Amino acid sequence: MPIDAATSALNLSFPPTTSATGFVVPQSRSFTVSVNPVVLFSILDHYLRRQEKQHRVIGTLLGVRSEDGSEVEVRNCFPVSHDETKDNQVAVDMEYHRNMFELHKKVNAKEVIVGWYATGSNLNQWNALIQDFYSREVMPPFQAIHLTMDTDLKNDEKLLGVKTYVSAPIGISAKPENCLFLPVPCDVKYFDAERSGLDLLASAKNDINRSTSLISDMDNLEKTIVAVQEMLERVTEYVNKVLDGSIPANNTIGRFLMDTISVVPKIDKVEFEKMFNGHLQDLLMVSYLANMTRTQLAIAERLQLLV
Amino acid sequence: MNASGTSATTKEALSNVNVTAALDVEGNVPLESVQIDGLVVLKIIKHCREFFPSPVTGQLLGLDVNGVLEVTNCFPFPGSKADDENELVDGARYQVDMMRCLREVNVDNNTVGWYQSTYLGSFVTHKLIETQYNYQQTFNNKSVVIVHDVSRSTHGNLSLRAFRFSQAFMEAQKEGKFTTESLIKNKLTFSNIFEELPITVKNSHLVTALLHSLDDYEHIIPTTLDKDTVVSPLSPNFDTLELSLDPYIEKNLEFLLEAVEEHTQEQNTYAFWQRSVVREQAKIQTALQKRKQENASRLASGQESLPEDDILKMFKLPAEPSRLDSLLITSQINNYCKQLNQYSGPTLGKLFTAGELQK
Repeated sequence: MPIDAATSALNLSFPPTTSATGFVVPQSRSFTVSVNPVVLFSILDHYLRRQEKQHRVIGTLLGVRSEDGSEVEVRNCFPVSHDETKDNQVAVDMEYHRNMFELHKKVNAKEVIVGWYATGSNLNQWNALIQDFYSREVMPPFQAIHLTMDTDLKNDEKLLGVKTYVSAPIGISAKPENCLFLPVPCDVKYFDAERSGLDLLASAKNDINRSTSLISDMDNLEKTIVAVQEMLERVTEYVNKVLDGSIPANNTIGRFLMDTISVVPKIDKVEFEKMFNGHLQDLLMVSYLANMTRTQLAIAERLQLLV
Repeated sequence: MNASGTSATTKEALSNVNVTAALDVEGNVPLESVQIDGLVVLKIIKHCREFFPSPVTGQLLGLDVNGVLEVTNCFPFPGSKADDENELVDGARYQVDMMRCLREVNVDNNTVGWYQSTYLGSFVTHKLIETQYNYQQTFNNKSVVIVHDVSRSTHGNLSLRAFRFSQAFMEAQKEGKFTTESLIKNKLTFSNIFEELPITVKNSHLVTALLHSLDDYEHIIPTTLDKDTVVSPLSPNFDTLELSLDPYIEKNLEFLLEAVEEHTQEQNTYAFWQRSVVREQAKIQTALQKRKQENASRLASGQESLPEDDILKMFKLPAEPSRLDSLLITSQINNYCKQLNQYSGPTLGKLFTAGELQK
């Protein structure tokens, strides 16, 4: 939706670094936002399931703040239905929002409301109104975060145009529909345990059916080793080229390589042999015993059926 | 992209099955596989991780289409603190409230199963059996339990498994008794309690776009030697190459030992039962013998013989202990062993790779 010049909303974009220093903004404390991938996935899912003729969807963001307030982690979100009308009015289903929050609190009490999301990259007067509502939902010393995501895929932006903002009141007399959105730096953050899940999902991204199946540990190991081999080959090729003089040497890359090689531990050969054999025997023993147990179980099973 | 109003039509648009098959209203086609949305995978992981190592559960929502169970959303259940009545009522109300809320935003509002987190594959418990039985009973066998192993997933390979009960187990559980006789009748052994269904993961178009943009989100630009260089979120993951195998195997063996111990206890209970049955039977035999002799002497002296049935009534054979426990334990032992084998294979490979590297 293009912004109408006559509306009272303001859209200003500064580069993130100058936003806190260049302007005197009340209660502005510099902080960063990190978003868990599950939030982005949920927003996209919500957008896919929107009502007919609805152009954008909004929802509440839940998350945790670090103790000093310098980092906000957006960990969860839920959709909220809303209705935009032509005459500068927006209806947000507040009861639904409260109910949902109560339900979420039962599962994870640590996550609090940190802001809200909307799809579409435009900021307009409705954003300001909704922002005003959410500012009152968020715990007082903190500000509500507004996250936008570009679901039209028209702009060639990174990360589907995910941007986060905080708001500041503007004008002589503060009106809810007047506010200034200040961008805040935002990145994607996930935990180790989520890593494997994301990897799996990512393996489906080049698939024509957009689907993939789970792979066994062995296949996974094979994939990883092949990846390492490819990387080594690439590095070797590069080093050889530098030695040939066909491409100029890059000091930084050289230093990276140096660092990497120095990480490889130097272990005494005898010592290593001992460790290697020890582990090998342990492993063989364990798998032998496990197989043995399984055989016994299988025999027991057969006997039981024979009776 | 057009979004359809009802969830059923959305599903049709999403899946490439023909319409007649999708309208399998009676649900005659048995389930063959499970297809999970990427969102569900992440949600399950998130929930399980946050409460690790205590086990958590949640509900799966979706639709079964032509033998494929499509799981398109899920929500977590609140963690239970005590087994009091209020908790149960609260849990049921939570479930109803959540379903209602999700329906308002067009989420598939059809329960297809539940998920549970586990630690090192120790998921074969009474609680799981009861819950899954209830689900399968209510939803006409079209319900699965998805088990997510957090500890294995941190080793670099996601561990998600979908299970449902076999028909044989459902029947045995329906009768509610697990005697040797009923086990044989249903041909039930530890290996056919569960049927494992293959899982596929499917992403929506928008998610695929997101994944692509995550990939080239931030490239390492070799101009600085900054330690905090931003690494792309989807840079290759080498967790799989981790060589520390001892803690995992140790823990696994510990569990295995525990299970074996429990199994021995079960065996002892069973043996005890068998002995007491033999003893009681011997007692009955002697009593019968006595009565027969008595009758013979009474007949000889011209008196009427005493009936023999009341002796059988006097003695009662002890009831056979439920075989369910030992069934579950053996299944658990089998799981541990399988896990160890699955783990030791790749680890052997890793060891030899490391060995070659050191040369």
